[in-house]
Amino acid sequence: MNTTPVPVIHVVDDDVVFLRSLLFLLEGCGFEAVGHESAEAFLGATPALAPQGGCLLLDIRMPRMSGLELQRRMVSAGSPFPIVFMTGHGDIEQAVQAMKGGALDFLQKPFKEQALLDTVNRAVEASVERQRRRVRQEEAQTILERLSPRERKVARLLALGLSNKEVARDLDISDNTVHVHRQRITEKIGSGHAADLARVLLRADPAGLDAS
Amino acid sequence: MAKMLKAFWRNASRGGGQKLREDCALMSRQLIVGLCLLLAASAWGREATKLASGEAHIHVGVLAVLDDQDTQHQWQPLLDGLSTALSGKRLHLHPLDPVGMERALKANELAFVITNPGHYVVVEARHGATRIATQTAAEGGDPAHAVGSTVVVRADRPLPEGLAGLKGQRVAAVAEQAFGGYQLVAAEWVREGIDAESGDVERLFTGYPMTRVLDAVLQGRADAAILRTCLLERWIGEGRLKPGVLRVVAPRPDSRLPCQTSTSLYPGWAFAASPHVPPDLAREVALALLTLPPDAQGTRWSVPADYQRVHDVLRTLEVEPYAFLRATRLEALARRYWFVIGGALALLALGMLYTLRVEALVKRSTAELTRSLDERDKLTRELEKDREAMDHLSRLSILGELSATLGHELNQPLATIANYTASLQRRVSQKRLADDALKQALQDIGSEAERAAHMLQGIRALARKRVVQRRRCDPSQLASEAVALFRGLQAHAPEVRLQIDSSCVGAAVMVDALQVQQVLLNLLKNALDAHRLAGMDAAPLLCRLHVQSGQVCLAVQDEGPTLSDEQRAHLFEPFFTTKPDGLGLGLPICRTIVEAHGGALRARPADEIGHAGGMVFEVWLPVLEAAQDLLTSAKDNPS
Repeated sequence: MNTTPVPVIHVVDDDVVFLRSLLFLLEGCGFEAVGHESAEAFLGATPALAPQGGCLLLDIRMPRMSGLELQRRMVSAGSPFPIVFMTGHGDIEQAVQAMKGGALDFLQKPFKEQALLDTVNRAVEASVERQRRRVRQEEAQTILERLSPRERKVARLLALGLSNKEVARDLDISDNTVHVHRQRITEKIGSGHAADLARVLLRADPAGLDAS
Repeated sequence: MAKMLKAFWRNASRGGGQKLREDCALMSRQLIVGLCLLLAASAWGREATKLASGEAHIHVGVLAVLDDQDTQHQWQPLLDGLSTALSGKRLHLHPLDPVGMERALKANELAFVITNPGHYVVVEARHGATRIATQTAAEGGDPAHAVGSTVVVRADRPLPEGLAGLKGQRVAAVAEQAFGGYQLVAAEWVREGIDAESGDVERLFTGYPMTRVLDAVLQGRADAAILRTCLLERWIGEGRLKPGVLRVVAPRPDSRLPCQTSTSLYPGWAFAASPHVPPDLAREVALALLTLPPDAQGTRWSVPADYQRVHDVLRTLEVEPYAFLRATRLEALARRYWFVIGGALALLALGMLYTLRVEALVKRSTAELTRSLDERDKLTRELEKDREAMDHLSRLSILGELSATLGHELNQPLATIANYTASLQRRVSQKRLADDALKQALQDIGSEAERAAHMLQGIRALARKRVVQRRRCDPSQLASEAVALFRGLQAHAPEVRLQIDSSCVGAAVMVDALQVQQVLLNLLKNALDAHRLAGMDAAPLLCRLHVQSGQVCLAVQDEGPTLSDEQRAHLFEPFFTTKPDGLGLGLPICRTIVEAHGGALRARPADEIGHAGGMVFEVWLPVLEAAQDLLTSAKDNPS
């Protein structure tokens, strides 16, 4: 078991005893659990999301920096951690705010072990998926970076399903020139088909095909 | 007792039987009288015409005071004697009672009337009858002193002093119209100021014959009896009455008769001629009367007496023919004193109106008073109920204000315990529970359970229904206990800095410790909420104590925003709140509690009292007087 890497779950709660019990529970379920006694401590540690997946269980109500504040900072920093909030009695309003802020889910204390596991598992899956998507995006971006700006424009129009002639008229260049660009693009990306071009463009930027 | 009752019944039944017999006798007598009149009536018409020619039948009415047979027996010899004396004339006797006599006289059916002095005066007045002779008493004497009344009582009863001594007693007489049998005594009473008619004397009229009166007094139905004078002596002489059984009330020493009398003596019975009798016949009859020898009883007829004294008696009694005096008396009085009477009546009416009005006013004001008293009682009851409800609400509300955080705080240990147990179960079932792990879990579970229990204890103390108990308390101790409780109830309670001034040393307050702690808890909770709203959850709270002019001040200060004047003005009003989830009941209840202890609750900005920070809430409570303090400590330590 030690040989296969397990998801790493980070927990932030100012109630030390509760924190300890939660780590105990998560470890018992086969996760690797890391505790932080405050939002500041978590930020100071700046842990990276494990490639095998993981998530952040975050107490919503804490002295000094609250859970919501930490979430805001992580979102603005582009942190890949899926966040599951832990709320106490009567924190529904804050929970709603947390969900609007992009939280994956929230758990109301005290929670059932199964509910925790289901949520954590979903978060881990989400983190894995997120990481996969990020890898693909980075790959697509690397590929696109090989194209010149002119080639990128041509590739975008081709991906939208335009013919060479239509691209030439749209860009006010000759058919021949379009043909040359298309050959270069095919060389650099490995395919000149509209569908393949569209997939790469969307992976690199989900809004890449929108009207500019 | 039984014996007495028996005797009473015997007497009663005997009296009743006798009464029946007497009633029968009365009826038969009336029947006979009626028949006689009926039989005679046909003859009378003729006789009236014959009278004018100076012959035949002459009808004489006699006042029947005894039974008819006796009357007949008494008077028939006289009429026979007259018939003999008046040759060629037959006199017929008609025993009549006053009513019958009246009717017969009205019908001109009688030529002559023989009647008692009182009745004669009436007949004279009504019908113009004229007396032609007066009877003397059998015992002799002159006709002007022939009739009197003798009042007797049983010898075994106390003898009344004079006729006035009969006042208030039961006196028997034959009839109210009886002259010798009642009126003479009644006139004496009137002269002595006794109003027998109005009940000064209880009168018992037995009716004729006079033996009934005797029976009444002998049987004890009456205290005294009024008899015609000489009747007593006659009955004794005839052996009908034992001598010495009766005694005479107020016997007159100057009696002109050989009989005892209680009144003076008056003229005897009158022989009167009706106005239509020719004077010759009248004279003839008068002469015959005067010349007749004494009858069997020894009475005879004499010259007509003066009946003036009879008139006096009847006038005194205001009876026929002087009955008009009664009416006149009232009328005359009314005419003469109408203004007095009218005034008196008016005054009486005014008085009655006034009384009625006063009574109505009193009734109305009483009703109003009762109503307002009832209302006051009702208000008092409602107020008490409200206060009780408020008191209960105060605990629940402070609990409610605290419960939002409390709920959250209680969740923590519960969630911790739940985590451990769930994990322990999983590890055990997977047979991979390490000893170290078990130890850690059990330790944390234990400490968390204890923490939860501690919080619940605080809630229970607040929520418990309890009687307010005021005891001598040290304010410093109250404050530190409240702070400890506050921190115990809040897992993340910030630091509370307790500053106790030296002026508080030895100061004591007489309070309900739990209630004051509720107030302090509420103020601390408010301060914490103010900090949280301002995003400064961890900032310390300040609790300061000092004594000033006989009052201890427990102040809770926060570093939150200062409230505006308007907010402060409404701070203690129910349902006013600045918190998003506040009920707005905490402070009003706190003020109620503090004021119930004779203290005051104030809110002001901290800079007003020279401190940096937000708001200060001050609980002012009166410090126990030194003497009271000593007393209380003496009670506490009876050494």
